[in-house]
Amino acid sequence: MNPSSPRIGRIRYLSDAVVRGCCLLALCLGISFLLLMIGFMWRESSLGIGFGINLYHFLVKEPWAPLATPPSYGIAHAVISTLLVAGLSLVLAVPLGFGIGLFTAEIAPLPVQQIMQPALEVLAGIPSVVYGFFGYVTLVKSFEGWFDMPTGECLLIAGIILAVMILPFIASTAAETFRSIPGELKDAAFSLGVTHLYASRRIFWRAALPGLFAAVALGMARALGETLAVLMLAGNSVAVPHSLFDRGQPLTALLATELGETAVYSVKYQALFASGFFLLVIVLGINILIWIMKQKVMQHAHA
Amino acid sequence: MPTPEQTLKYPGATMAAGDSFRRAVSRDRFFQGLLWACGLCGFLLPVAIIAYLLSGGIHSLSRTFIFDYPRGTPLGARGGIWPAIQGSFALAALGLGLSLPLALGGGIYLAEYGRGRAFATVVRFLVECLAAVPMIIYGLFGYAFLVVFLKFGVSLLAGGIVLAFIMFPIILISVQESLLAVDDAYRDMALSLGVTRFYLFRKVLLPQAWRGMVAGVVLAVGHAVGSAAPILFTASIYFSKGGLDLREPVMTLPTHLYNLVSEAISFDQAFGTALVLILGLLLFNTSALLLRRIGGVNSP
Repeated sequence: MNPSSPRIGRIRYLSDAVVRGCCLLALCLGISFLLLMIGFMWRESSLGIGFGINLYHFLVKEPWAPLATPPSYGIAHAVISTLLVAGLSLVLAVPLGFGIGLFTAEIAPLPVQQIMQPALEVLAGIPSVVYGFFGYVTLVKSFEGWFDMPTGECLLIAGIILAVMILPFIASTAAETFRSIPGELKDAAFSLGVTHLYASRRIFWRAALPGLFAAVALGMARALGETLAVLMLAGNSVAVPHSLFDRGQPLTALLATELGETAVYSVKYQALFASGFFLLVIVLGINILIWIMKQKVMQHAHA
Repeated sequence: MPTPEQTLKYPGATMAAGDSFRRAVSRDRFFQGLLWACGLCGFLLPVAIIAYLLSGGIHSLSRTFIFDYPRGTPLGARGGIWPAIQGSFALAALGLGLSLPLALGGGIYLAEYGRGRAFATVVRFLVECLAAVPMIIYGLFGYAFLVVFLKFGVSLLAGGIVLAFIMFPIILISVQESLLAVDDAYRDMALSLGVTRFYLFRKVLLPQAWRGMVAGVVLAVGHAVGSAAPILFTASIYFSKGGLDLREPVMTLPTHLYNLVSEAISFDQAFGTALVLILGLLLFNTSALLLRRIGGVNSP
């Protein structure tokens, strides 16, 4: 039969339409996860209606004391712990990450560049629980000796290990950004005889600003959501931490500790899901920021 | 005066000869040294961590450690981790089986059928959001939705579905990106010959893009297998003697490691478990990287 006969053409067209429909269906099904997740977290937290706790008490005032009479559920200690740990990890990882990014993108010779990327990917591929274990057997044990602490776990250690965990994400995003700086800009700068320091400080830095911002945001989103490492290293104490040497309990650790022993649909269950919902919303908000910054970087690269 | 070598390295700087020039150069030297130090740090960190785990765990590795189930008092202090290895594999396989069809279809749609439309942009953004959701939120959602609401109970099935949620966005993004990396000229030529989009995908795009896709799948699976947070409350159990059942919970490597450390059962066993986990993932991820690197050069 003639291969271009109308019948075969129609079958082909039809089968293509079927494939197309299946692909679209798969996509929609997959995407509905996200909406389902957001909706379900909202439902389980009962934040919309029937949330058993005054929101101000929940976020700021009350301690986390589910066993007290009457029980009180407040996550202020967890919010403070999360902010301390994530802040510390950013303070440590951002300068180093930018340095590594600038190094790989600008001054490393090609063979070194080719080593750096897999090295960072190995760092990113180590699971959270292994980082937790590593921190436990190295830093926690050492801190007990160095600082004469009864138990070595503290927010400082959690922050240090967290910094190592978010470092590869910050570094590779920064490297990508520095690489996307237009070549004419670099050529123009170096043909004027400026040093690498001057070019980085006065020229590249400005051109890379949106991308670097995205790198920091990405690191922050990671740091806020990281669970196992902070669970194992921060000490899991419900007291409000006053310094980095105190034990604390970041939000994620609170969730991981308490969920297993919570009666379904109780007030405590609502409190946990409300915390989870806040975390989800914050991370998604950061992600929106990253998206905007990335669009800016892309415009830069195309302009 | 700058030496000829300096003149060569900073062309145009000869006019600024003198003190300020020398100061600028020495400052720049310091700056570059600092950057080299940063780079060295980034290289030494992973090497040091892996080396530390190797030196601490290598002596725990043995045939019994791999192929036996946990024994001793407290449970896990002796014996092996076979049920955990089994459980991790089962979870990964289940998650991949569930997520791959959806992610493949979705990626193909975004890259081929819906390219350039506002719909595709919005969906891609949602997928990236899904990829950014913290692991513990997946665990929370899986617990509330699958374990409690759908009454799956803490089981292999629930855990597999949660891991599928986690793998879906990562696989989808890599499928889309590998397809987009194929030169548009191939598409134009094929389509101008009157073939269907599906034919184009099977015969022209797939041979060029499959390496990138497989690499993405491997990375996604490695990412999901290593994380304990999502399966802590959906699939994992403290002890099992092995054997798999969709309705029953399983032991997994990351949760087993967590239990060994948090209950202070045995650090030797914990070192061994961490080493098995990390070596497995390293092997897995390295193969993905190699595949991707080879994939950069397309043979016709």
